[in-house]
Amino acid sequence: MFTNTTRSLLGAGKRLRVPVPIRSLSSPSQPSAPTPTATQETAPQPAASPAPESVSTPTPEQPSEPLVKEWSERLGALGKGTRLPRSVQAIYMRPLRRKAEYGLPVCDLQLRSYSVENVEFFADFAIRAAYYLNLPVSGPVPLPRIVERWTVPRSNFVHKKSQENFERITLRRLIQIKDGNPKAVQAWLAFLRKHAFYGVGMKANVWEHDSLDVGKSMDESLPEIEKALGSHLAQFGQRKDNSVESSIFDTLDSDRFAERTSR
Amino acid sequence: MSQGRLLDLVKSQCRIFSLNFNPQRLRLGNKILRQRLRGPALAAWYPKQEVSFRDLQNTYKPLGLTTFDEAEDDREEAIQIAKLRGKGRPKKKRTAAESRSAKKKK
Amino acid sequence: MSKPAASLFHPKRLNLSGFINTRLIRDHNKRMAFEQTEPERQALRYMIRNTSLPGRTRAQAQLQLSQMHAYTRPTQIKNRCVASGTARSVFRDFRINRYQFRLQALSGELPGVKKASW
Repeated sequence: MFTNTTRSLLGAGKRLRVPVPIRSLSSPSQPSAPTPTATQETAPQPAASPAPESVSTPTPEQPSEPLVKEWSERLGALGKGTRLPRSVQAIYMRPLRRKAEYGLPVCDLQLRSYSVENVEFFADFAIRAAYYLNLPVSGPVPLPRIVERWTVPRSNFVHKKSQENFERITLRRLIQIKDGNPKAVQAWLAFLRKHAFYGVGMKANVWEHDSLDVGKSMDESLPEIEKALGSHLAQFGQRKDNSVESSIFDTLDSDRFAERTSR
Repeated sequence: MSQGRLLDLVKSQCRIFSLNFNPQRLRLGNKILRQRLRGPALAAWYPKQEVSFRDLQNTYKPLGLTTFDEAEDDREEAIQIAKLRGKGRPKKKRTAAESRSAKKKK
Repeated sequence: MSKPAASLFHPKRLNLSGFINTRLIRDHNKRMAFEQTEPERQALRYMIRNTSLPGRTRAQAQLQLSQMHAYTRPTQIKNRCVASGTARSVFRDFRINRYQFRLQALSGELPGVKKASW
């Protein structure tokens, strides 16, 4: 089906794919390592100043030594006095939560999946994301599983006695956002959609609350809406040469119409 | 509250929310207007073909790349062989007279 | 009045992928015809049900609805297996025949479907 050129392109794609896992393997170790060095380089120069950050505390004693140390030393020093950033440390703990002030539900997010790990992981991710967006969260509430079962004959209809059972279990988790800013909720949902996890479906119900005099604000916004829609509404209308005296029933009764529609 | 005032209330309610005011409960067939159209859902049952090999060919031709549709080539070759054996498609009859004469010969 | 042939509903270019069968194409054509004429059918149905319209109009609407081509009727549509074209025991969830369902489930092509035992 394909020519040689396309085939060679496919081959190139395969060859290109090889280095990717190596890079992804090395990437987690890199960001943790260079950050202390950056602080080491800056910290010793104003020698008199006390340690500005906890990250650079173990290094300022030896300003005379070479500024950039060996990799092995730097990696060894990681576990001792230094610590990971708080946001990274928080990943190893239970997710942090904001406290709801009024407890007014704003958004219900339902996650569905066929595997426990995926749905649990993504629920955790969603809760952490909500914390950093300043949204109070309740959940994840495990909702009842949906079990669908099918029984299928293994073979032709003659062999009805030998059947096979199949099932599909859908796991659900409910995450509820309470009294959050609607814009922040939208941002949260957009973020979750952007970083959607494989095999996890999402369904959100969003409630928006307004003050009691909604009618007034709607009346105020009407001229703006009309102005925006004006160009579209101008396209609608009846052609002047199209107006006929007779009613719709005359048209329906006419033989010509009947002939046309029945043909 | 009197019956008349209740009716007025329902009438104004229907006017505001653009509902049908029908106190005699006549059969006006409005339930059909309320139904959703099922056509789009029914029409989407079978998987549609978005891209065909011909589309690929059309996109690659302007770039100066040649493509080979093996299935199409096989088909054309088979037609050629059938024609050589005299088993090809009969010629299209354009007029009624032609088709009639062909039948008479039988 | 001559009824139009079913060939009226054949599309210029067949845009189906996957398993294709004469009967499957026919069903697909019916679906397309129904989708196109559904507003018209609903309008006629509304006129028939509306008792406030004159009887003559309603009778005419009935006639017109009954004279529309059979392909535009929703009852003509039959769910067929997408993978084999079979019309019997097709699961609506997967649009697949029971046998194709078993084959695909065993080969793990249907997400989440496993062999069950309880």
